[in-house]
Amino acid sequence: MSLWRQLTYGLRGLVNREGRDREVADEVEQYFEEAAAEWESRGLSPKEARRAARRDGGSMTAAREQAGSYGWENGVKVLSDDLRFAARQLWKHPAFTVTAMLTLALGIGANAAIFTVVESVLLAPLPYHNAERLAQLETYRSQIGRAIPRVTWPDAMDVRSQSRNLETVSVYNGGKVGVELRDHSAYSIVTFADTNFARVFALRPMAGRLFTAEEHAAMVSERFARDNFGAAQAAVGQVVRIEGEPEEIVGVLPEGFDYPGGTQVWVASHPQPAWQGRTSFNFKAVALLRDGAGFTQTGTELEALSGRLEAAYPKDNRGKAMRVKPLKEALTGDSRQTLLFLWAAAGLILLIACVNVMHLQLVRSMERQRELAIRRALGSSRWRVMQPVFLESVMVAMMGGAAGVALAFPAVKVLVAMAPKELPRAAEIHLNLWVLGFALALTLGTAIVSAMLPAMRASKVDPADALKCDASRGMTRHGAGLMRDGLVVAEVAATFVLAVGAGLLLRTMMVLNARDMGYQTRQMLVVDADAPVTQEMESLRAVGMFDELFAQLREMPGVEKVAGVMGLPTGSYGSNGYYETKGGETGGGLPVDPDHPAWSNFTVASPGYFAAMGIPLKRGRDFGAEDTHESGMVAVISEALAKQSFGAADPVGRQIKCGLDADKWMTVVGVVGDVRQESPADVPGATLYMPMTQHPFYANQIHIVLRTTVKPLTLMHAVEERIAKTNPLIARRYTTMDALMDQSIATERFRAALISSFAGVGLVLAMLGVYGTIAYSVAQRRFEFGVRMAFGAERGAILRSVLGHAARLACVGIVAGTVLSVMLARLVTSMLVGVRPADPASLGMVSALLLVTAVCAALAPGWSATRVDPMVALRAE
Amino acid sequence: MTDANGMSDANTDVIQGTMDMLILKTLSLGPLHGFGIARRVEQVSSGVFKVNPGSLLTALQRLERAGWLDAEWRQTENSRKAKFYSLTVAGRRQLEVETEDWTRRAGAIARLLEMEG
Repeated sequence: MSLWRQLTYGLRGLVNREGRDREVADEVEQYFEEAAAEWESRGLSPKEARRAARRDGGSMTAAREQAGSYGWENGVKVLSDDLRFAARQLWKHPAFTVTAMLTLALGIGANAAIFTVVESVLLAPLPYHNAERLAQLETYRSQIGRAIPRVTWPDAMDVRSQSRNLETVSVYNGGKVGVELRDHSAYSIVTFADTNFARVFALRPMAGRLFTAEEHAAMVSERFARDNFGAAQAAVGQVVRIEGEPEEIVGVLPEGFDYPGGTQVWVASHPQPAWQGRTSFNFKAVALLRDGAGFTQTGTELEALSGRLEAAYPKDNRGKAMRVKPLKEALTGDSRQTLLFLWAAAGLILLIACVNVMHLQLVRSMERQRELAIRRALGSSRWRVMQPVFLESVMVAMMGGAAGVALAFPAVKVLVAMAPKELPRAAEIHLNLWVLGFALALTLGTAIVSAMLPAMRASKVDPADALKCDASRGMTRHGAGLMRDGLVVAEVAATFVLAVGAGLLLRTMMVLNARDMGYQTRQMLVVDADAPVTQEMESLRAVGMFDELFAQLREMPGVEKVAGVMGLPTGSYGSNGYYETKGGETGGGLPVDPDHPAWSNFTVASPGYFAAMGIPLKRGRDFGAEDTHESGMVAVISEALAKQSFGAADPVGRQIKCGLDADKWMTVVGVVGDVRQESPADVPGATLYMPMTQHPFYANQIHIVLRTTVKPLTLMHAVEERIAKTNPLIARRYTTMDALMDQSIATERFRAALISSFAGVGLVLAMLGVYGTIAYSVAQRRFEFGVRMAFGAERGAILRSVLGHAARLACVGIVAGTVLSVMLARLVTSMLVGVRPADPASLGMVSALLLVTAVCAALAPGWSATRVDPMVALRAE
Repeated sequence: MTDANGMSDANTDVIQGTMDMLILKTLSLGPLHGFGIARRVEQVSSGVFKVNPGSLLTALQRLERAGWLDAEWRQTENSRKAKFYSLTVAGRRQLEVETEDWTRRAGAIARLLEMEG
């Protein structure tokens, strides 16, 4: 009841302010009238009676005010009056308002955008059932000192059957392969998985059913079904051919599930004898932890289990340990560093923005020092004086925050579009309540931080002092200038750190772009080709078919050289692993450290590959027509491999073998130059080349490389026609070597581009900051300049003194920034290639840039200082 | 808000916290307007308590919002419009509570003072 009355009466008072005021006034008036009437009835004259009533009851105004100020609604009223006042103040100072708002919008927008990505990728749980119990199985190898995210089939099977903490383990592999539909082939991401896969993720098909172990069956994504069959239901029962096998689509998985890595088709896998090796890490595995079994506990269990396996298979499982990692961490681990790095950079931007706004506020509060002093002198409390400063700040921050969030929408779109393909969970990135909450918290935080100093200064104004000193006569208080200078220094320092980061990453990009890859990237058309084969005989036929195709392509105008390869640098197929050379005196290989077996990339190539790629042949010969499936096995090795395993001895004629497919000795027939396999950031390393004819199983899914004399992509249609004529069932995609190279450094480019744009924003903000400070101090010193000029000071000297002030501030900021950069540099070491964290060139460039920026920002106010007319300045006021 | 009215004669401002009880008690005898309440309090206390109109009207609003009083504008006996306050059921209950509380406190204080003497 009472609460209800409080609310309704208050609201009524709020809505009908006048009504309530009138009622109170009426009641007070009536009270005094009654009092007077009573005095009158005791015989006083009306005038005397009124005076007596006032003597007893005090003034009517006081009573009205006291009675009228009751109720919570009055608090609201005071606040809304103050807000209106603040809004009016902001409206009257549009330059301040707009600058501060835009500055904050940039800072908050950048942070909201980056946080959106961080939240969606790193913080939000995976969109799967039992997300927190999903794990990836990894193999730790003491030989290489780290864990690889892959497993061997038998190890995974042992973990599945022996672990009690893991409810189930699913083993899968796959990648981008051609899926043959009725009339064409489509490149799709295909995963070959066992039946446990559906159990791990608790999958429920939206149409059809899950596949079972015995059948040749597949499940497809809702999108795949829609794109190729029109609707989910229509896909069920259709047959597609994958790697030559017919697979019936038995189920369609709902939209949103595309694990692993955007899979469109899941095919039931059937264990094969070739999978039994405990040294070929060709599989990935996901597991579901039992409810209540933590990752630590499971880790301990797997450690013991690995020990038992090592004892049982001392040769193969030496130094091997099975581990579990939360699936989310496994998926997002690589992007974590980049995202946190970007977040930190965005934080710096916000800091700079805050400092800028704080500085603007400070200038404003100095302009209104007299107003504040008068308020203090008239008895306003400290809080009352601080309040408008805070309110203004909150209002500006709110507007900035709203603009920032509005900015964040397109920014997130741009971010996602720019992000390298490897960015996990990109499809899940969207603004949500968490992000809005974060933005709101940032907004309030910035409001408080940026108002703190000005408000405190406002409250400390000593009325007597403030009224005495007159800024326009150059009599500012000493502390004020120092504080403004300090803010500018902080801003320059923070910008410096950002700019150095950008400089280092840009230098890294330059290094990467200028790197010799060990092969040619110009004028190279690359065709991803996937020929449908199953049996080895068919594979052999595919090799023959490709050979013919290469010959035909070579005939085409504009094509210089053609070759095929499995294991193209920066390409999507490839393999690597251990190899052995025939040791001892007979073979002449260097002694092998059993704990560090020799490791190499494996590449399967057609004759002419080295010439087409421009990889120099250093010794011996290339593969040729004489190397057939039936002739003796041969291999070509790279220089790094030769050095690693044969030292200074001539490797040609030596024996080498690897576990790629056949465990047979191969004779080294040639040595070629090294290439950087994964990306320009890679070290040129050991590569073992084998001819396609002798490894036909790896020859159906290849890259065809064409060295052209014209722009590579102009040949695309002609090549497409030719391949379609040879075999329309070859799935194919086109790209260029340059594009592949570009993609291989997408992450580096993403980082460099973002940090550079952040640094650019920082630079603009710092420039504004310097400009603001210098312009303000010049305006305040007009009188001083006038006096100096009246006494004959040179204009040049005055300009020099103004620019000198800016340069001094910049220098102090640069020194502070250098110290900070050197301290923070180790955080970025892992992102740099060919550049030292304390790269003197970057530091020097950035210092010069900031110094020039600061001086430029001071030019306009400096020039205006020299234009001061002594007479006008002295007469002013 | 400054409500120092600078009176330093024998009569006192109503003791802090007792205003509500005095108003409720006064109204328990029948509806009255603001001045009526003030006059009744002063009369009954033989001028010991002096009521400040600002404080009284504020207190009336508070009690009304607490649901202890109802208010209504109507004619006075000398045909002027005035806001008349009357006790609600909840107000009557509150008066009992406060009276009991006051009696207990006053008794305790009286006993303490007697012990001294």
